[in-house]
Parts: sequence; structure tokens; C-alpha cells
Amino acid sequence: MTDSSKKPPLDPYKDILGVDFTPERLDENLHAFVDILKEIQKLRELDLTDVHPAVIFDPTDGYDGTKS
Amino acid sequence: MSTELWARTIEDLAPDIRAGRVSPVALTESVLDRIKQHDGTLLSYIHLAEDALKSAQEAEREIRDDRWRGPLHGIPVGIKDNYTTGDMPTRAGTEVPGFSFPREDANAVARLRAAGAILTGKTRMHEFAWGTVTPPTRNPWDVGRVVGGSSGGTGAAVMAGLCTAGMGSDTGGSIRIPASLCGTVGLKGTFGRASRAGVVPHTWSLDVAGPLTRSVADSALMLNVLAGFDPADPSCQDRPVPDYTEALGQAVQGLRVGVCRNHFFGRNQVEVENAVEEAIRDLAAQGMTVHEFKIPNLEYGLGAIFAVELASSTAYHDVSLRDGKTRHFEPDVRSLVELGRFVTGVDYLKGEQLRRVLMADFRKAFEEVDVIVAPTTALTAWAHDAKTLEIAGEQESVLAASWRLTYPFNLTGLPAISMPCGFDRDGLPVGLQIAAKPFDEAMVLRVAHAYERTHDWAARRPQL
Repeated sequence: MTDSSKKPPLDPYKDILGVDFTPERLDENLHAFVDILKEIQKLRELDLTDVHPAVIFDPTDGYDGTKS
Repeated sequence: MSTELWARTIEDLAPDIRAGRVSPVALTESVLDRIKQHDGTLLSYIHLAEDALKSAQEAEREIRDDRWRGPLHGIPVGIKDNYTTGDMPTRAGTEVPGFSFPREDANAVARLRAAGAILTGKTRMHEFAWGTVTPPTRNPWDVGRVVGGSSGGTGAAVMAGLCTAGMGSDTGGSIRIPASLCGTVGLKGTFGRASRAGVVPHTWSLDVAGPLTRSVADSALMLNVLAGFDPADPSCQDRPVPDYTEALGQAVQGLRVGVCRNHFFGRNQVEVENAVEEAIRDLAAQGMTVHEFKIPNLEYGLGAIFAVELASSTAYHDVSLRDGKTRHFEPDVRSLVELGRFVTGVDYLKGEQLRRVLMADFRKAFEEVDVIVAPTTALTAWAHDAKTLEIAGEQESVLAASWRLTYPFNLTGLPAISMPCGFDRDGLPVGLQIAAKPFDEAMVLRVAHAYERTHDWAARRPQL
């Protein structure tokens, strides 16, 4: 077992999300994000387990010298 | 037809230029005079080409020597500031120092030059294509109104005769929105139809390069030059390129027009909705059958486009975000680039999954219809200082309101055009949107042209 009390506390924004804003700017951005978040929340609630995302991937890319 | 050279279309000018009845030099001078006269007010250009007249002289010599290159030879074309150019600076709409872009022609620019087009300059855009307003450009129909964006400079310049045609790019509606608000034709081809190599990226899986013009035929002529495979763009598809002008003038009798009754209707400015309903009746009067349907999953589209665009744009700007350059962006763009950090990887991928769902929904709809018709924007051009807009009694942010009807065709990659279909009581143009199956730009152009030739909307010009 590890003694978690000895670990430095993690800042979820800075350390996890990589968000390094001043507290005022962070607050401003979080409020600005509220309306967008409402839309993304709808997406989060969808069950899309069996749907392949529309990502483009071609393992032959570059082999024939035609793509970079 | 106006005899003013700057007011004429490519379709109208090309035979005269080829036959020597119109001089590319006189045409370019006419456009440059027009820029001198009006761009102090409209602010549609950020940079003017120094060699436009020289290029026009060269075009004139070639044509005289029986070396006519095609319909774009000698035609003045404005280029959106996110296309890199070998002989002009590229800023992608930003004034923040520390960004540099290659001094080489984007694929589309190289194609236009090879076709003999005269580049007039770089047109203004919303900073890094992240917005639908394009400050400080003013709308030629009412300088107190916005031009839309992000290709707003091109929209204003094309409508005002400050170029004969222009280039835009479309990630969530950035060609079609300014086309709608300025009254031009704007064509977003299928994702992969034309190369984006050399276009400063916004969202790799959504960006499309395309033209803004003053007629449907001109869009076809521009697409003939722009479409085609380019190995330098990983999204670009190697498919045959038809002659898109062959779609023009074909009857539409018996074709099926689809009307998606949810999402696209019921939440628009009354005059916009009425003008588009009238356009649908006009198409039916030409023998098209009208089929109504619904796509309930569009309810999730806004979340998906936000997740995909925010994540992608922030990834593109990540280094600038970390080194502090984005602090100097315009406030709206700075916010959007910073907000991308709050979108999780799961959100992004669910956005990409939702795209696949919508693609299937639209594919099913296209089993019953040949085109889908809708308004391009829910409202006509709004005042410069508006931050939120009231539509059908509800408040919406400018961004959410302006791209609500265009982004579904970005998420699905389908070709879509915007063209004028009327004017509101303030004399502002209303945009009609027509979409078709993937790589069926010919169908889009065929129906758009059938509508256009029975109306005079495209011939109307603002009084400047």
C-alpha cells in the first residue's frame, strides 16, 4: 500500500487536463463553456458502443511515395 | 445584363475574353478601380496583389497568341487569407506576431494560376477561421451588418464586384454562411473533392476548400478547376472529375426534393422560412416531387461539431496556447481555442461516432430523394455588435444560430451549395441551401441552376 498523504495534491485542471489559466480566466472559460457543455452532455448520454468513429486512417500512407 | 465589367460573371465574360472582345487588363482595371472606390468602406481585403495588372497583361498576350487556357483565363479572383500564396503574405486572419506560413501556393491557388486566373489579393477572414462574423468587414447590402464568416471578406468582395469570384473554406459553414448573408453563391464540395493542401487548418476532418461566385454556372466553372486528386492532402480522393458545366440547363422534372422537417425548419426568421418554402414550391412547379422526412439524431449534432472542432482547433493551436500567443487572439477566438482543453478524448470520439450515425441517416434519406433543400442560415445578416440573436422567440449565441443549418453537411461530408432565394424587408438576402449525395456536386449544381434561371435574385446588386 502507498501512503497517499505524502503525495503532492493534483490540480485537476492544470495537472490532468493541462489547463494552465489564471483562476479568473479559468472561471471565465468555465462559464463560457456551460452552453457548449449542455450540447456535449447530450452526446455523452448516447449509447454509441457499436458505432465505429468516422476517423481516417490508412496504414499504407507514405509507402507508395504518393502521400505524406 | 450590366455592361460594367466588374459586375459580369465568369460565364458571361469567358467567351468575350477568348474572342478578344473583352480585355483581361480592362476587366482587372475595372475590379481594381472598384476596390479603390469601395474597399475603404467594405474592408474585404487584407492584402492586394501588386502584380494583378501585370498578370492581366500576360493573360491578354497569351490569349491573343491563341493560348487561351479556359474559362478562368483573365478572370480576377480573390483568395481567402488562409490559403498560402507564393507572392503574397498569409496571416490566416490574425494580427498576432509569431505565426509564419509557407511562401508557396496552396494547391487550389496553383490550380487557379494554371487556369489563368488573375489573383487580386487576400481577403479578410475571421481569425483562424474560428467564427462567423469576420470583423471588420462590412456587408455590401447594409454596412451596419455583418458579412458572415469565416470567409466573409470573399463574400463581400464577390458581391460588391471587388473580384469576379473568390475562394473560401468551410469547416462548419464558412463558405455558405457568408454566401447566404452577402447574397452570393457558395459551394462546399464533398469532403475530399478538392485539395486543402496549403490551407491553414482549422479542423482536419471537416475543412473543405471551395468557391464563392455570383452565379451557379460560375461555381461549376470554378469547381472544374479546383476538383481533383492531390496526394499532399490525405483526405483528397482520387476519383474522376466530370465537367460540372454539363449539369447546367438539365431539366429537373421527376427529380425528388427532400425536406428535413426537424432541425432545418420551425426555428428560423419568418421571412427566411417563407422564402425557402416558396423556393420548394418553385422546384415542385418545375416537376420535382417533394418528400418530407425527419432525422431525429440531428439533435446531437451541435454537441458533436463542438467536440470535434474545439478539440481539433485546440490541438492545432496547442503550442501557441502553451507559449501564450493565443492570449493575444481576439477575445472570441481566444475563448474557443482555450475551451478546447475542456473537451475530453471521449467527447471527441463520440462526436466522430455520431458523424457515422448521421451519415447513415442521410444515406437512408437519399434512398428517397435526390437533393435536400433547407435554409442556409436561420436569419439574414445581423448587426455588427450582436452577441446573441433572437430567432423564433429564443435567444441563441451568434455562433450557434449562424451555423445550425450548415454544420450537418460538414459532419456528413456532403456537398452543399448556398444561393440567394429572396430578400427580407430590410433588403437583405436570404440563402437557400441544396445538398446531395457524396461526390454528386453535379446534382447540386443541376437543381441550383434550375432554380436560379427562373429568378433574378443573382442579378441583383447592392447600391454602394
